[in-house]
Amino acid sequence: MKTQKVLHSRMQSVTVLVTLFLLVMGNGVMAGEKIPRLPNGKPDFSGIWQTTSAADYDLEPHSNRKDAPPGPGIVDGNVIPYLPKALEQKKKNFEARATLDPAQRGWTLGVPRAIYYPEPFQIFERAEDLNIVPQFGHSVRTIHTNRTDHPLDPNDWWLGDSRGHWEGDTLVVDVKDFNDKTWLDRAGNFHSDALHVVERWKFIDVNTLEYKATLDDPQVYSRPWTITVLLDRHREKNFQLIEDYRYTLDYEQFYPPKPAQQ
Amino acid sequence: MNQSMNKFGRHAALFWLTPVLVTALATMECAAQETVPQPVSAVQPLKLGGGGIAQEKTVPVIESGAWKGKRLADGQPDISGHWSNTISNHSNFTDPQGRIPGEPVRPGVAQRALGARGDRAPSRVSDPADGQVPFQPWALAKVKEFQIGFHNPVKPEYIEPLARCAPGGIPKSLYWHGYEIAQYPGYVVFFFSSGTRIIHLDGKPHLPDSVKLWNGDSRGHWDGNTLVVDVSNQNGKALFGRSGEFISENGHIEERYIFDATGLRYNYVALFTDPTVYTRTFTVTIPARKWTEKDKPNGWHFEVEPTKTADGKLALDRYERICAENNGGFGLGAATTK
Repeated sequence: MKTQKVLHSRMQSVTVLVTLFLLVMGNGVMAGEKIPRLPNGKPDFSGIWQTTSAADYDLEPHSNRKDAPPGPGIVDGNVIPYLPKALEQKKKNFEARATLDPAQRGWTLGVPRAIYYPEPFQIFERAEDLNIVPQFGHSVRTIHTNRTDHPLDPNDWWLGDSRGHWEGDTLVVDVKDFNDKTWLDRAGNFHSDALHVVERWKFIDVNTLEYKATLDDPQVYSRPWTITVLLDRHREKNFQLIEDYRYTLDYEQFYPPKPAQQ
Repeated sequence: MNQSMNKFGRHAALFWLTPVLVTALATMECAAQETVPQPVSAVQPLKLGGGGIAQEKTVPVIESGAWKGKRLADGQPDISGHWSNTISNHSNFTDPQGRIPGEPVRPGVAQRALGARGDRAPSRVSDPADGQVPFQPWALAKVKEFQIGFHNPVKPEYIEPLARCAPGGIPKSLYWHGYEIAQYPGYVVFFFSSGTRIIHLDGKPHLPDSVKLWNGDSRGHWDGNTLVVDVSNQNGKALFGRSGEFISENGHIEERYIFDATGLRYNYVALFTDPTVYTRTFTVTIPARKWTEKDKPNGWHFEVEPTKTADGKLALDRYERICAENNGGFGLGAATTK
């Protein structure tokens, strides 16, 4: 009898432990799955990633348009909380998006747009940093994870300044010191140089990342707001980035010199 | 607020001296100085070292062999860090410390004394012995045409593409500012001032021939102290510099990055083959050195911002590289909106 009781209580403990484990893991990776890790034990996000969402066409829920498929949006609460004057600017941007969208010129997509732009990007991760190389354009974004803080004497950068730290298996990145020249999507959603982004990156399973970003900008929004998007790992055989320096397309026909007969 | 330039320019890649700019500046200069003609300043000798572009004028001998230095967890020789060529920039491919071919003398602008050819660094073409690219006649004629047109760019093809913020390509990226080499399992990555090169070490096949790229498609492997890289899929558009040499989209490059025992130097030794442009395969040699936290940052070779980690260690932030968007007068004529 006594033995049985002990066994029973042990099983209870195991059940409690398993339940606790599942609760703890509930917001992260499926139980039993092993995520890739660096030698220092931190999650290794290295790989080629891309969203399947229609977020870049418009972060907010939208019906189909001639230049966009429909999409449910990725904004928590569906609506970006623009200040009245900023909402007017957003509407103007939207009307002129075919010519004003910086991505149309091959320019730097910025943060967070490069993450959900519909082309792959590659993460190269080391203990001290993550370098994000989007296939589109020329920019390279470095997220420093070497326990450094934002510079005391910053510029206004196209990509801002990214400093990350680990909270368990979640990479939390603080990004600021932006300029005001990038857009958030091709629908004209925008920000000022006061933009402050806090990103949270984590594995959902070994081939899926959850990316959350909270955007704050007192010159443009009435309150901070959050987007959530899933990123899928490219697993096609021999898949690789193919450089897309699109801004060169208008002049590249002039090079190289060709023999007269061609 | 727009971007500010501070220090020696966190956006070092902003300044693209093109013939257009040279012409414009020269014109303004002439207008301003019309009444007071300026004599040509006294010639100045070549200065080596410091933070200047020309660090050295010789190429060290580095033999291929075993790697005895530090290795990364994945077994690669650890050569990660900030690197830059030691000789010169892209003004002149075959006489790197000479002038841009055909460079006009401008009033009031000091010219450097060149002296004898042997007083300057050798050609980047180390074979054939004459230091010249073995161009087929049609290609040589095009290079000579470019060297004249460069100083009066009446056709778009006379603009050196880097001045339009095009990627530097191969080999020019290796002598256009310093760059970072980073290593990851399966990869060596070059973060250049103008463009990024991802060298795949996993032996996957090259992209199909129909895909043509500014930086080509690179497959590499380590052979002792040497990173061997096979480059195909080039678009041939980048040119080698302001002297107009080029390869075509039919070209092939076999690169060897030979690192010395200290891990602080390497020589780039590459075979260039292109049956449509050259009469024979030739060899390009470019010496490079590493820049570390012991060195003072500078605006050409070592564009980093020293910073402190929370535990007091020194870290080096690499500056953001942006060009096309800021290149007001050139390329796409990028004017910002709003």
